[in-house]
Amino acid sequence: MIRQYSGIAPKGDLQLIQNLCRKLKGKSFLHINSTREGGGVAEILNRMIPLLQDLSIDARWEVIEGDARFFDFTKKVHNALQGNKEAFTKKMWDYYYEVNKRNRKNLNLVADAVLIHDPQPAPLIDYRPRSKKTIWMWRCHIDISNPMQGCWSNLKKHIVKYDTAIFSVTKFSKSLPIHEYIVTPSIDPLSDKNRDLTVEEINEVADRFNIPRDKPIILQVSRFDRFKDPIGVINAYKIVKNYNDCRLILVGSSATDDPEGEAILNEVRDYASDDPDILILLLPPDHHTEINAIQRMSDIILQKSIKEGFGLTVSEAMWKEKPVIGGAVGGIPLQIVHGVTGFVVYSVEGAAYRIRQYLNNPELAKEMGRTGKEYVRNNFLLTRQIRDYLSLWYCSSVRGNKKVFEL
Amino acid sequence: MAKASKYFEFKQCVSIVKATGQQAKNLKELRKLIASVGDESILHHTHQYFIKGHMLDYTNDFSQWAGEYLEERALAERLTSIDPYTLKSITAVRKELIREIDAFLDAFPEPRDVTSGNEFYFNETINLVFPVGVKTKNLAEFLVALEHVDSGSIYYHFYDSRIRLGEGAVDDFSRWIEHTLGRKNLADSIRAIDPFMHSIESIRSHIKNVVEEYVRADMEGVAT
Repeated sequence: MIRQYSGIAPKGDLQLIQNLCRKLKGKSFLHINSTREGGGVAEILNRMIPLLQDLSIDARWEVIEGDARFFDFTKKVHNALQGNKEAFTKKMWDYYYEVNKRNRKNLNLVADAVLIHDPQPAPLIDYRPRSKKTIWMWRCHIDISNPMQGCWSNLKKHIVKYDTAIFSVTKFSKSLPIHEYIVTPSIDPLSDKNRDLTVEEINEVADRFNIPRDKPIILQVSRFDRFKDPIGVINAYKIVKNYNDCRLILVGSSATDDPEGEAILNEVRDYASDDPDILILLLPPDHHTEINAIQRMSDIILQKSIKEGFGLTVSEAMWKEKPVIGGAVGGIPLQIVHGVTGFVVYSVEGAAYRIRQYLNNPELAKEMGRTGKEYVRNNFLLTRQIRDYLSLWYCSSVRGNKKVFEL
Repeated sequence: MAKASKYFEFKQCVSIVKATGQQAKNLKELRKLIASVGDESILHHTHQYFIKGHMLDYTNDFSQWAGEYLEERALAERLTSIDPYTLKSITAVRKELIREIDAFLDAFPEPRDVTSGNEFYFNETINLVFPVGVKTKNLAEFLVALEHVDSGSIYYHFYDSRIRLGEGAVDDFSRWIEHTLGRKNLADSIRAIDPFMHSIESIRSHIKNVVEEYVRADMEGVAT
């Protein structure tokens, strides 16, 4: 399986993965999260588990089960960790613990390394089998830079029992009495969302969605959410239109279960009014190839968020060699090295200015696109994330306080 | 061309970032933490700056933060002029950083806080070093390998060697070229590449150009 990434991912990452798998051969690596499908974590585990198995690691993936009451609570925890105000009761926390306790009976927690993803299964640490040679790691995929303190304090009681905590960005890390590592998220270059497409595939999508290709296309792909600032994107486009002709496409997933999303979509539609050069597309969440094609037919890709987790849509765009412009929030500045792999902006005017800069300097746009793709290749591909997990496991299994490991 | 007796074995370094949980929101806090954090953290933010692979305005994380987030450009310029590779130890680098910050604080004692989210986070790394399966025994093979290896390998041999081999150390490439191939002039040309002024890819291309030029001259019988 790993051979599929040859020629795509950096050679060194593939070598290190194979090297570490030889050293960890036959050992077990258990991942636990709360959903088999949907979301970035499941997407990565779906790829990573068979790949590790193929390299003689006994990799397993378990999913905890819970009812609506449990998941309503963990959704609140998710929101509170991202800084929203939520109301919690002791009864809720007790139920959260109780569900984990129940799950424990159906899970085989015996493994050499255990990686628990996000808060839902965090209390499972209390059921860690007694063996000194195992390592338990808690992986936080959420932006917890500014959490609701009460919520974080309650969760922290579980986290400090782990050997290691892993965060996506340094500023999400906390002052904890355990080891804390930074592992950025990644995109899979072989998934439908990112794989190479033929010209025919791209043209077919353009035809199917009636996307004219007569003018430069500016694109933003994101949920219709205030934090993604779709109105700001339209305002930037309107400024650009005073100087340069172009089209704007806003692509988002349909959000029938999200009343706020629908309200914002209507607001965006009203705001775009009858401008024939603004195209708003609502696609089902599984239309990955279609989004890939629309990204590939675009000339400039924006992620003008005003609040963001990591914002992997930026890496997706960069992987397609597109010049990018992103808001200076969350993980976006880690992906966009300002002036090197794209532009980071702080305002609508800034976004408009950078769009014009790209439109008027095709060579600059091309060069940024090229540099951006190499930056993603070296930093944000799935293989790098697998490499990091294996490295942490291996280094943690070696005694002492070594900082350099010769393989 | 002289025949080499030893191979040059290409290795690569991969770093995993470890958070220390320590952060500074203004210059006074930064100064306090520079004085107290572990050596690994100082090393990461100065010597290991080039592992990122790209060049920005400054040449270490402290100066980058001072310039970009504190917007104290004079301080940033002074911090960026600290050369960690020529200083004898981490202690010496730490002292230099503190000396520059103290001098700045003497003149401007009330520095402002950065906006929330732009604090300086002290990190360190754990590093995994592994052979990439490429050995070369002469300059022709070296040139092919140089183009083939990942940027992490160039970093390891061009920058990390200066930390790994201690005081006065240079890059691994020129050491091998001088001591094994006996090409002192070529080694000197590689050593003349300023490590602070290039991205890793640019370092790769400079070394390639220098070696190619030397090999061409050698074939024409004019290499020294």
